Amino acid sequence: MIWIWIAFAPILGGLVYGGERVLRARMQRRQGPPFLQPFYDMFKLLDKRTLIVHAPHALLAVAHFFALWFSVAAIFLGWNLLYIVFLHLFAQIVLILAGYSVRSAYSHLGANRELLMLVAYEPILILVAVGFYLVSGSFDIAQIVRGGGYLAQMPLLFIALLMIVPIKVKKSPFDVGEAHQEIVGGVEIEYSGMFYEFLYMARFLEYIFIYSFVFIFAGVSYALGAALVAGVFLLVNLVDNATARVHTMHMVKIIYAVAMSLAIANILWIVL
Amino acid sequence: MKFFTSFRKKSPWILHYNAGSCNGCDIEILAALGPKFDLERFGVINTGNPKQSDIFLVTGPVTYRSRERLVELYSQIPEPKVVIAVGSCTTTGGVFRGMYNVEDGIDQYIPVDVYVPGCASTPQLIIDAIVKALEILENKSKEIEKPFKLFGSVETIGNKLSRLNMAKRVKHD
Repeated sequence: MIWIWIAFAPILGGLVYGGERVLRARMQRRQGPPFLQPFYDMFKLLDKRTLIVHAPHALLAVAHFFALWFSVAAIFLGWNLLYIVFLHLFAQIVLILAGYSVRSAYSHLGANRELLMLVAYEPILILVAVGFYLVSGSFDIAQIVRGGGYLAQMPLLFIALLMIVPIKVKKSPFDVGEAHQEIVGGVEIEYSGMFYEFLYMARFLEYIFIYSFVFIFAGVSYALGAALVAGVFLLVNLVDNATARVHTMHMVKIIYAVAMSLAIANILWIVL
Repeated sequence: MKFFTSFRKKSPWILHYNAGSCNGCDIEILAALGPKFDLERFGVINTGNPKQSDIFLVTGPVTYRSRERLVELYSQIPEPKVVIAVGSCTTTGGVFRGMYNVEDGIDQYIPVDVYVPGCASTPQLIIDAIVKALEILENKSKEIEKPFKLFGSVETIGNKLSRLNMAKRVKHD
């Protein structure tokens, strides 16, 4: 059963992304694209002629996708939360290498920004994992989702996680990594056709990855988890429609000044 | 593959290039993409990246400085692709026709599939043009399509690239 979920994780993420595009359009009083639009895009990209800059560059996109899929699979299988955070880090490093491996200045800028985003959200993810360990006594997700009461014990860590969700799903005000009007997609810029599709599907997996972090805050109650994910999903899209993009360094400063201090305060509160 | 071909018209991604336009047509294109006319309901995204686009929307009579970029952007779009010339200037040169610093429309440089008249073209006309372009896109093969002329850096590397080395050399006077 769990293997079916893992196999269909990109499709599940595609449905989330399609739903999000419709929701965002309705928030702007537009009709919006069809619900299955991400899959239409995927099929169209398969039909395009593919231009490759050089072979490792194309291969790194595939590696990024599969590394991300592996970390999502590890979440579904209930593995160690710290392993999962570092597996995800590996997937991001692969993407950053791909950004630096071509000559395009936009690609380099995008890779720089991806690195700064990593610097911003990675400590928070680790602190969230540490918080779960302190409350439940284990880093294993299988163990964590058997417990409960995480929201009551780590509310500030939940707020810190809320602040990094827009970075992961590339939404305003923290969508500096993609920033289509400035750097035309950043690391994605030199990809086309089939290999762009891997990056496009990797985005679906990012949704699954970060929202499952939100989900495990509910612990044993899956209904509460679903409600949390739906609430965060609505909030992130509302904030996306209502705010402008901030400067990359401001993003790092905001995350370090607010989210990091909230997370550390929460950890100290649990320990003391 | 036949199955994937039917999805071409469901997700056309646009690359918009201003080849010396007065911004009249550009504003109409943005209006067509905005909430009132909402081109996104056809699956259209304004990508701004030639390597991921299907439809090349060009505005403006091609000025002397912009023709090199026009040809370069066109040759970076992977096939199948369609070109839409938006506005009177882009189709014929418009009021600038015959002037020393413009090139009387883009069809001297790249093959054009759909011409949209009007100064400026209305969003309704642009939407019609995109719907028409989707019909053409669906029936196109994946044959390499080449610009008529090459310039600058693209010309120096053009003969080494299989995508470009067959481009027709038209003497420009």
